[in-house]
Amino acid sequence: MPPRLAFALVCLVAMLGGVVAVVKQGQLPPADFTFNNDTEIESLDPAVVTGQPEGRIIDELYEGLVKLGPKDRKPMPGVAERWEVSDDGLTYTFHLRRDAKWSDGSPVTARDFVYSMRRFLDPLTLAEYAYQAWYLKNAKRYSRAARGVEIGDRVEVELLEPSADALPFARGEVLRGELVGVETDPGVAAEMLDDPAKFIDYRTFVVSIDGEEQRFRIGDRVPARAPTGAKPCRQLTLDFAEVGFRAIDDYTVETVLESPTPYWLNLLGFYPLAPVNQRCIETHGPAKWTEAENLVTNGPFRLEFRRLRDRIRLRKNPHYWNRDGVALETIDALAVQSLTTSFNLYETGKVDWITKVTPLIARELFEAEPPRDDFNPDAQFGTYFYAFNVTRKPFDDPRVRQALVLALDREEIVTTACAGELPARSFTPPGLPNYDAPECPDTNVERAKELLAEAGYPDGTGFPKIEILYNYEQQHQTIAELIRKQWRRNLGIDVSTRNEEWGSFLSSQRQQKYDVMRRAWIGDYLDPNTFLDLFVTDGENNATGWGDPEYDRLIREAKAEADPEVRIEMLAEAERILMREVPIMPIYYYVSRSMVKPYVYGWYNNLEDRHPLWALSIDRTATGPNDFMSSEPVREIKLNRREPEGAEQ
Amino acid sequence: MISFILRRLGWMLITLWVVFTVSFFLMRAVPGGPYDSERALEPEIEANIKRQYNLDLPVHEQYWLRMKGMASGELGSSMKKDYTVNRLVREGLPVSAALGLLALAFAFSVGLVAGIVSAVFRGSVADVSLMSIATIGIALPNFVVAGFAIILFVFTLRWLPAAGWGSLDQLVLPALCLGAPYAAYVARISRTGMLDVLGQDFIRTARAKGASPFSVVVKHALPTALLPVVSFLGPAVAGILTGSPVIEQIFAIPGLGWHFVQSAIDKDYPIAMGLVLLYTTLLYSMNLIVDLLYGVLDPRVEWK
Repeated sequence: MPPRLAFALVCLVAMLGGVVAVVKQGQLPPADFTFNNDTEIESLDPAVVTGQPEGRIIDELYEGLVKLGPKDRKPMPGVAERWEVSDDGLTYTFHLRRDAKWSDGSPVTARDFVYSMRRFLDPLTLAEYAYQAWYLKNAKRYSRAARGVEIGDRVEVELLEPSADALPFARGEVLRGELVGVETDPGVAAEMLDDPAKFIDYRTFVVSIDGEEQRFRIGDRVPARAPTGAKPCRQLTLDFAEVGFRAIDDYTVETVLESPTPYWLNLLGFYPLAPVNQRCIETHGPAKWTEAENLVTNGPFRLEFRRLRDRIRLRKNPHYWNRDGVALETIDALAVQSLTTSFNLYETGKVDWITKVTPLIARELFEAEPPRDDFNPDAQFGTYFYAFNVTRKPFDDPRVRQALVLALDREEIVTTACAGELPARSFTPPGLPNYDAPECPDTNVERAKELLAEAGYPDGTGFPKIEILYNYEQQHQTIAELIRKQWRRNLGIDVSTRNEEWGSFLSSQRQQKYDVMRRAWIGDYLDPNTFLDLFVTDGENNATGWGDPEYDRLIREAKAEADPEVRIEMLAEAERILMREVPIMPIYYYVSRSMVKPYVYGWYNNLEDRHPLWALSIDRTATGPNDFMSSEPVREIKLNRREPEGAEQ
Repeated sequence: MISFILRRLGWMLITLWVVFTVSFFLMRAVPGGPYDSERALEPEIEANIKRQYNLDLPVHEQYWLRMKGMASGELGSSMKKDYTVNRLVREGLPVSAALGLLALAFAFSVGLVAGIVSAVFRGSVADVSLMSIATIGIALPNFVVAGFAIILFVFTLRWLPAAGWGSLDQLVLPALCLGAPYAAYVARISRTGMLDVLGQDFIRTARAKGASPFSVVVKHALPTALLPVVSFLGPAVAGILTGSPVIEQIFAIPGLGWHFVQSAIDKDYPIAMGLVLLYTTLLYSMNLIVDLLYGVLDPRVEWK
């Protein structure tokens, strides 16, 4: 054989061998239960993530003081086996079970919860969801670090270096004392001092520690303009002992709230507030501690491995206190992004649960004959809406906004661009047991024209050209085009549409560079407040420029109101104002579109569309509808059909 | 030859530096940043994020810091996710490469045979039909091919799995769809190359001295006819090894291709930068290998 040919052959064999080796590495026995988690998750650190895919995994790996049930998401005992609430609704005392263990076998104690809560609130942790814990007394001030302290407060100063006996990635050594003064650098202009982003750059903090005054600058270096003797520190915050979250003993945790919060237990079951293992974090450091070989968790499952963009495998945690109550031994969470691929995998039996299907496929499933035994859409706690920029003309006039809302035909939108979604006339979606959301008026073109004429634009004459802004996605585009046509047809006004890529879209929202903009909101917890809180004057997610003192007062006082009925009535009154003033225009409520195989039990539709996996079991011999198909829907979901030809204009 | 390689490697470093610089400034010229989200961030958290990723430093300092990192082979950590770029490449590149190699093997063998047959039987029915298929193969985007292939092989014939990674049968469809356009290109290029060579004097000489038609084509004509194919394969290998976002998406392959797209959408600067530089390195080395292969295939070529 000529050497060249031999060389080529050797190369070929080596290449094929490589391919086979790589593929072999990917081979796995199938898990008991496989579902598609929609994307590669951002992190396994509960404190820093915000997405649903992350939540699905973290809910299984970790367990908080309470956990939320699979059916109606009611708080159930988690690490805390029982709790008491004080009469004023402010103090909760949690009694931890003695048999709760980390996956390395060590006990879960109250100290773990205090460590985790402090870390969660620490602005250096970069927890986007930190505000979910601000119902705790002084928690917000702790999160605001140096901007949250006042002279006379007990403070803690985190130095740059950890103490000598600390683990390699521990936080800096902490000194505690009383803040006795804040000195601003001489000769710095007032607007520089007021700039929140530069707050710490021009200030020296004087702290009295054990009767001795010490000066601190926040940052790695002390600048030359600082007074002599100032020491650098990483951070200065309120003393965590001032925050309403403490360990009374090893197995008792007490939380003290700013105001009675009826959904506090639900929030404690929300995954960002899960406890993390201090030893694990401080031994391996950021980015490394969440790797499979290092991670220590306390939930029903532990992390067996994680392959980027492929799957996460969970295995039952042998140290979990309720291990006998968990039916599944292994779970695979796939990271398949394409909804079509996800559906293909489901249909070929490789996946047992997919969290959504495209509207196109959903339409087919609604009409399938015989009816599907694995598709049962239900209402979800989210609203798709348009926001008006009331700082711009003509949207500063409520009559114009009302006219635009009255001229909207939601039926046409949900029949054309959606599959099963429900037309929305309130901001808070329906389905809460004790709250009937006040609605804005239904479509009424005559009234819309009258209002527009009253506002000075009879038949749309003189009405400036307005623009609808949306982020690029097929469905948003279809809806924007429909609304453009409806407004033009019904009011005779000139409307254009424009799309932006997600990043630019968000910055347009924040800087209020838009006329009318597509938005959506999914509730964080089952209470109208998660929606209504958005539109208080200058709220950080308001972004419409709208504000109303009466609305602000109702939202603020509802927070402090102890009587649940009075509180709900206050929130309803606030929503009535919102639906009268309409700085926003509700369009539709979201609908969940999961598909679950008939042999999966313990999976229930619920408003939050969250489904704990520890509750699942597989029974391939059982007959009859499973919990998914037989559960009472929050709302009947049907496919809206277009009227036959002729009804259209 | 050694000095040729060394010189080319020198140029590679310069190319990498230029690519790094251009990408660095292009990325920062785009509005928005990696931490845009629907909810506004608290100013403290935003300031801390910027500090952690050095986004609060002046641009020239960021540039210098990143360049030092890159030079030491540390591609950095993702800004959005909790893994490093090195881990992403370590896990994704073998997958993309395995798929790519299969696709290339398919493309090369099918394309080459089709090209040679077309050239040798120029003008015949075989030639016309093969070249028509090749033209269609080039024109059809691979997601269309993938769609048809899935309907046929997964749902109608039920021969192959729909998607996923971990067994050889899961690789067949993606390799086929990924390789199809390349096969079409190879067929067209090898046909042209072959026709070119078959008209040359040394082929006529070979025929005149009585070599069999098979030996004329395979032994004398093929090596020279391969030259254009090889120069096409260089960049093709670099492209195929770093993965195809579309095919990976459709067949749920955990390769590198998706990260190219997603990091740009997320404005995850370290991932985008790491992948661009990886691609540059691969492209450059493949071109270098192609240049070296020229010398092996064609005795008239000298490395200078």
